[in-house]
Amino acid sequence: MFCVAEASLYQQEALEAVRREGGGAAVESLTALELLQKEDEELRSIVTFSSQLDAALGGGVQIGKTTEISGGPGVGKTQLCLQLAVDVQVPQCFGGLGGQVVYIDTEGGFLLQRVVDIAAAAVRHCSLLVEDDEQHVAIDTFTVETVLSNMFLVRCHDYVELLAELHLLSDFLSNHPRVRLLVIDSVACPFRKHFDELSQRTRLLNGLAQQLIAMATSHEIAVVITNQMTTRVHGSQSQLVPALGDSWGHAPTTRLLLQWMGPHRLAAIFKSPDHMNSTVQYQITSDGFRDADQSEQPQRKRPRTDTDQSAGHQRDTSC
Amino acid sequence: MDWKHLEMSPKIRAGVRRAKLRSVSDVLCVSGPDLQRLTRLSRSDVQELLTAAATACRRHPPVPALQLLRGECRRLESGLRLSVGCPVLDELLRGGLPVGGVTELSGESGAGKTQLALQLCLSVLYPPQYGGLNSGAVYICTEDSFPIRRLQQLIREQSELRSDVPSSLIRGLRFSDHVYIEHAADLDSLQVCLSRRVPLLLARGLVRLLVVDSVAALFRCEFQAADWLERTKQLLSFSSTLHHLSLEFTTPVLCINQVTNVFDSSGDSLGPLSSNVSPALGLAWANQVMVRLMMRRLHMTVARGDQCSVLRRLEVMFAPHLARDGRNVAVWREGVQGVSDTQTDT
Repeated sequence: MFCVAEASLYQQEALEAVRREGGGAAVESLTALELLQKEDEELRSIVTFSSQLDAALGGGVQIGKTTEISGGPGVGKTQLCLQLAVDVQVPQCFGGLGGQVVYIDTEGGFLLQRVVDIAAAAVRHCSLLVEDDEQHVAIDTFTVETVLSNMFLVRCHDYVELLAELHLLSDFLSNHPRVRLLVIDSVACPFRKHFDELSQRTRLLNGLAQQLIAMATSHEIAVVITNQMTTRVHGSQSQLVPALGDSWGHAPTTRLLLQWMGPHRLAAIFKSPDHMNSTVQYQITSDGFRDADQSEQPQRKRPRTDTDQSAGHQRDTSC
Repeated sequence: MDWKHLEMSPKIRAGVRRAKLRSVSDVLCVSGPDLQRLTRLSRSDVQELLTAAATACRRHPPVPALQLLRGECRRLESGLRLSVGCPVLDELLRGGLPVGGVTELSGESGAGKTQLALQLCLSVLYPPQYGGLNSGAVYICTEDSFPIRRLQQLIREQSELRSDVPSSLIRGLRFSDHVYIEHAADLDSLQVCLSRRVPLLLARGLVRLLVVDSVAALFRCEFQAADWLERTKQLLSFSSTLHHLSLEFTTPVLCINQVTNVFDSSGDSLGPLSSNVSPALGLAWANQVMVRLMMRRLHMTVARGDQCSVLRRLEVMFAPHLARDGRNVAVWREGVQGVSDTQTDT
């Protein structure tokens, strides 16, 4: 019992669907060789300013892919995100991407004071590398002010706002083709409260993951998301694992785990399609995310004492 | 949010009625195909509906961080800090407590946590040029009765502590009228307090500092070991309430926490510890904390004039904008102040 109006609506809809699917397929099909060439010809990674982590990740955080950073509180997740948000803007003649960034802050950890620190350090770093004329020109426009002007901040207080923002982001990215990085710090915070039904949460998270993957590929951006840790109990043993459940674990292309090992900070890659699982040491200095000091031997590291007020030029900060 | 305020074509409006979608946010929580089926709209109409709903739900479009730096977007980043009232400690905290996010202060009993919290309750009354927020404070006690005599003493000694502020200004501030004290003896009354009375005070602008002293007491005594799942759930809901209040009203939230002994420092640790204690309540709570501070007693005393105090140390465990660092502090009659090394007298 269909009424005429409804039947014609279905017909119209079917035509629309056929047109859309047909058009889409022609663009999307690529042979593996073409894909390889495409990947090779473009600079496809954002450096982390830690050469060891870059090496482990194969050049840095990949464009067109999603990367998850998980870790306990204070280990440096937000610091790495802020560092990447600055690094993506390094001009092309310095080996960067000269891109822009959209930063979605759900925890309130985006503190301008710290962003300015990291940006100033990156600008200082590049100005020391100036050799040719092109770099001279580039460094004039690579200042803390321009870094901040290319950083688009969104604050979301709950998951509805986050979903709304992601829905509208596609248009924003079309209007801002220079955006190369999307950071969500963190996905866990809005999705770990206000959910009585876990099935609803799982469904929304799956949808969100699909959206992020689609955005990463179609707009050629790197998507970096952070996740909290949670305790999982196995019989009498307990273990720290990234939050949001097992099905979420399939969403990111690369999963990075930041953790403490005594006084040292370690970054472990534990899911990646094209790199070996490996663990590297890093530190958070007043300048940002950096390689661990090689000159400083771990066993000679003195425990901090009461009189040890200023720990020298490179103080350890945390997130 | 109501449908009436949304600009939509009659066709889409009819679809929404058909689908019996109550609030605008429901649209975003239903998957695309489901929405199409429920509203019986075409795909492009559903997209239009989603865009309209998303525009209504988001607070603001992406803002360049430069506008924040220039102070053109006060709502997102005011750059305000709540001063502790001591230049040494303000330097450690880069100005004081941030106004959005939960700050935790943990330590053993007698470390001076409550002293610092009381001092902040008075500091918040000052105008912004003196590190305050021009508003009052609400202090929720869960452990002990409120140390009212000590607060009175601190108020009397304010001019001693804040020599940077003109004394006429200090005399003009009516400190005791602007510190609201709440007692919560169990989790239910804490819940009522946080969901009804505190939002009211914040919304009216009467207070702009929330202190909970302490978070650990209720969660540690009301649950048995076997109820850990229920405890985690309650803790998560409590901490997200605090987080929400803090961001919504751009208000600093200070939570005092107890400490617990650490027996094995295996891989699960939350960072290098300077002593054998760590803040209580575990990971579920720590995930919601933005700035974690710790205070402990040192085995030294320091003297100044006729006063004598046990030396303490205030340390930054983690914060997005602070280095891991610490300062020695002493508790005097007029309040908590940082101590430079030269003053230390063993």
